Amino acid sequence: MALSRGVRLAAWQLGRSFASMLGLVLVAVIVVLALIGPWIVPYPDDVAGAVRLSGKLQPPSAAHWFGTDEVGNDVLTRTIIGARLSLLVGIGITFAAAAIGVPLGILAGTVGGRVREIIMRLTDLFLSVPGLVLAIALVAALGAGIVNAMIALVLVWWPGYVRLAESKALSIREEAYIEAARVAGAPRLRILWRHVLPNSISPIIVKMSMDIGQAILAVASLGFIGLGAKPPTPEWGAMISIARGYLPDWWWYAIFPGAFIYASVLGFNLLGDGLRDILDPRSNRG
Amino acid sequence: MTTTRRAILHGAALSALAPSMSWAFDKDGDRKILVFSGNQAVPVLDPHVRYDWSTRMIQQSVYDGLLKYVGNPPRIIPWLAEKYEASPDGLTYTFHLVGNAKFHNGDPVDAEAVRYSFERALKLNAGVAWMLKDFLKPEKITAVDAKTVRFVLERPFQPFISYVPWWYIVNPKQVQANVVDGDYGKKWLTENEAGSGPFKLKRFDSTALIHMDAVPDYWKGWPMGDKNRLSGVIYRIVREAAPRRAGLQRREMDVVTNMSPDDMQQLAKLPGVRAEDHPGSTTFGIKFNCQTGPTADINLRKAIAYAFDYEALITIHNGGAKLMDSPFPPTMEGHIPVPGIPRKDVAKAKEFLAKTKTPSGGIELEYVHVQGLEDARRIGLVLLDSLRTLDIKLNIVGQPWPTMVARGSKPDTAANMTSVYVTPIGTDPDTVAFQYHRDSWGLYYGMSHYEDKEAWAMIAEARGLTDKARRMALYGEIQKRIVADQPEIFGMIPNRTWAMRDYVKGFEFSPVRFTGEVDLYPMWIDA
Amino acid sequence: MLVYLLRRIALAGLMLFGLVCLTFAIANVAPSDPAALAAGPDAGRSQIEQVRREYGLDRPLPEQFVRYVGDLVQGEFGRSVATGRSVGRDLARYFPATLELCLVAMAFGMLAGISLGMLSALFKDRWLDHAMRIFAVSGIALPPFWFGLLLQLGFAAWLGWLPTSGRIGVSTDPGDPITGLLLVDSLLRGNGPLFVQCLSYIALPALVLSLPCLASILRVNRSEMVEALRADYITAARAHGVSRWRLVTVHALKNAMLPTLAIIGLRWGWMMSSTVLVETVFDWPGIGLYAVSSAIAGDFKPVMGVTLIIGLNFMLVNLVVDLLYGVLDPRLRHA
Repeated sequence: MALSRGVRLAAWQLGRSFASMLGLVLVAVIVVLALIGPWIVPYPDDVAGAVRLSGKLQPPSAAHWFGTDEVGNDVLTRTIIGARLSLLVGIGITFAAAAIGVPLGILAGTVGGRVREIIMRLTDLFLSVPGLVLAIALVAALGAGIVNAMIALVLVWWPGYVRLAESKALSIREEAYIEAARVAGAPRLRILWRHVLPNSISPIIVKMSMDIGQAILAVASLGFIGLGAKPPTPEWGAMISIARGYLPDWWWYAIFPGAFIYASVLGFNLLGDGLRDILDPRSNRG
Repeated sequence: MTTTRRAILHGAALSALAPSMSWAFDKDGDRKILVFSGNQAVPVLDPHVRYDWSTRMIQQSVYDGLLKYVGNPPRIIPWLAEKYEASPDGLTYTFHLVGNAKFHNGDPVDAEAVRYSFERALKLNAGVAWMLKDFLKPEKITAVDAKTVRFVLERPFQPFISYVPWWYIVNPKQVQANVVDGDYGKKWLTENEAGSGPFKLKRFDSTALIHMDAVPDYWKGWPMGDKNRLSGVIYRIVREAAPRRAGLQRREMDVVTNMSPDDMQQLAKLPGVRAEDHPGSTTFGIKFNCQTGPTADINLRKAIAYAFDYEALITIHNGGAKLMDSPFPPTMEGHIPVPGIPRKDVAKAKEFLAKTKTPSGGIELEYVHVQGLEDARRIGLVLLDSLRTLDIKLNIVGQPWPTMVARGSKPDTAANMTSVYVTPIGTDPDTVAFQYHRDSWGLYYGMSHYEDKEAWAMIAEARGLTDKARRMALYGEIQKRIVADQPEIFGMIPNRTWAMRDYVKGFEFSPVRFTGEVDLYPMWIDA
Repeated sequence: MLVYLLRRIALAGLMLFGLVCLTFAIANVAPSDPAALAAGPDAGRSQIEQVRREYGLDRPLPEQFVRYVGDLVQGEFGRSVATGRSVGRDLARYFPATLELCLVAMAFGMLAGISLGMLSALFKDRWLDHAMRIFAVSGIALPPFWFGLLLQLGFAAWLGWLPTSGRIGVSTDPGDPITGLLLVDSLLRGNGPLFVQCLSYIALPALVLSLPCLASILRVNRSEMVEALRADYITAARAHGVSRWRLVTVHALKNAMLPTLAIIGLRWGWMMSSTVLVETVFDWPGIGLYAVSSAIAGDFKPVMGVTLIIGLNFMLVNLVVDLLYGVLDPRLRHA
């Protein structure tokens, strides 16, 4: 079957590149941690709010691989649970942004005219302010908190998908088979659903994969500034923001969550690169 | 390559030979500059508009008051006023000014300047105005002659003298010369000064750095002698603790404050660093909303108060704090340890909880603290852990101070629990007691919206009493009453800490100052 | 060509107005009470209301918007409710610091990115190339705030080679600003020690900020170089005996310039975003730190002011890049 051959080809291609394999491994580790995290952590109570002040700020040891934080919680436990939070948030933001941006983009690309103008101008408007700055402005207005941070980031991210979907839809519009379908009398929606969407999906998937990593980083950045999750939520960025006050003597507190952010973003980036090689080999490499 | 301050000074001095003028700062003979670092900016220097610890530290340096607070225990000493008298009925106060006080521009400090300053503060109705505005009308202040000022109060007010040191005297001529659109000089005084204090402003960048030069011929002289006095002081605002630590270690800074208890422990171990650690007078309380919400029920308040882990407060401060045993700090006149003030007792807590509408818990409460204050946040985590025994969930919210205050100003919007540090402004017990009076609703220390008509009557009465023994007895009753009503979780009184290099001399601690605030006037460097 | 220019500029103008509307729209979803902010911690209710009237915070929204646009046209960004100072003045004070940081970061990113990209292409598929490629991917994935903390820990706290934070020594007086860029000013004054000191302070933050840009430029330059090296005219030149070195520096480099330019435009925006994080970590007194501390304090005018300034700056840079592109790319010139 063509599908299984395609999959095998993809897997082989992926396997050939060290970078893509590394990406896959990193992503897999994060996903696994997110899934089984709550069952494997050594001190589950530390995420529910337990406070053990006598054991505060302990360096890494056999009992606490990543040391303890300022209220005595195990940093390893909180970092692993943080993986679950970050992954969910990252996926949520990416999917929401895509869900808004892609239909709008395809609409703009296929319909053209006035509608396209309006959509593209609106998109340009949101893209006129660099992402994090706009996110800060939005969160400052809405109030700090993980939900508001997510909303702000979706608002910052959706234009990217519009652009991508629109340009893909535009190029597909010219394809022969679209013309053929139209001539054959297929309704517009059907054309969109059956022809345009499946053929534009590849670059979108690549972008989404890389964006999950970037979204995780963005949420952590907002958390670091103090506009994201609140205590005692074990969000990586928020943890680092507090850990900052405990540098340099109690360095482990800041190092480990940051390393996990790095690993996640790196993993998704490498995976995205690898996927691009498979799904969209003709695209311009930047 | 650690760059010491002196290396930079040398570099700057050498390059002063280059043909450009303003950027090498003037050195006064061989005198030193003290570098003090904290985390709080000084947005508005105007002494009649605003005050907080960093602002007042600068205000106390560039301005003088009629009187001044010094020492531990704090006492009030004459300053611009060399003596004063109060009439027996407690209504008239007459101040006699010293003969030689001068403003920085040379104008003498006369009675008119005093009258003008008090009038300006009352008319602007901001900052310090609240202390006296109900008892003093600007028309009742008179400059009897060049060196005598008379105040006639509307009603007897015992705490009057204890508030006077915070009312700084500005030069009316300079202020009037810079009035814009009838703003009473507010805009100009935000970043400039018209004072007579031991220091004058050299450079003012409200969020980064404030550089003051010592006034060589300061009218009151210099306690360490003219040879030893400083050339000036730089207050450097650094938001994060790590660079302040590094600055102190590298001798780029001489005194730092706002360090966490854990940091202080590390700093004290360093060679060449001295830790100043003094029992403070700032109380930390978790104010309940006594009017609306579940916390309006005294049984719930008692339950929470008995569930709370008070020992954790001490552990967070590594031992550098004392638990409150009364709404009054122990340094306050009239303080008594109130018997039966709650300590952790889970059984008792559950007993009280059983009497509430939610006897088995299952509710969620909100705890609000000032964003950025690490200790208050940690205490929130302790509270969360403590409430788990009652099956009550806690939502910890960090908010900027003004938002918190705005929310807390109305009973309908105030959070279930808000944590506040309160420093009493003076030595008179009225400053603390009055926080529990109806008139304090809407202010940051009145966020509990405490209601007890009898207590209010007692507080109002105590303000006006002239018989000291009766007053103090009444304040004892007031304290017991407040504890019984449990408008807040009475927390701890954290120590005031500074870390400084051991060559810094002349540091004088006075509990009446805010946390972090120091009196820069007697300080100097012996190196 | 001229048409292209004019259209581009007109578009930018339209975008600018849209930006103004966007920022105003955001500003009015604020939940905290800005009047309480200005009045200070000890203000009573009457004092807060006084401040509200004074700042015009009690007028209806449309009226506030008209006032807002009118103010912006005059260069008036409103007043910071927390400090009572003009936001415009604050922005003018802090912008040079951010500009200096971004320029140094960009310069370093370009220099290092181009050289390393070149090296990578020349030693294609050897270990250097692989190392560079991993480095390039890291540059984009590395959280800037975490990397900044690591550098602070390593170079400042543990080794003590560089300062932890700030723009200049605590008691150093840089003097009145000439350009606002301390490095330039100190050179103009011929002050060597000051220049070195400023360099030591800007080193770490600029390094952190430059990393994503460096990584992108490295990748682009590498691939462009590889392409260029394979091109026919290169092979021809080699056949004629032109040295490899010369080929790379003169021919291949010229071709790589254009995509690099495009990247700079893209990365400048990224840099403006990251500067918020880097300034926070290093206590660098720029508009990023200003925005963050204002946002946390619930002070909106500054956040809006910074958003506008950064948006404007980003638009300008993109405009310039587009125009330059139009000038440099022969294909577009005749479009």
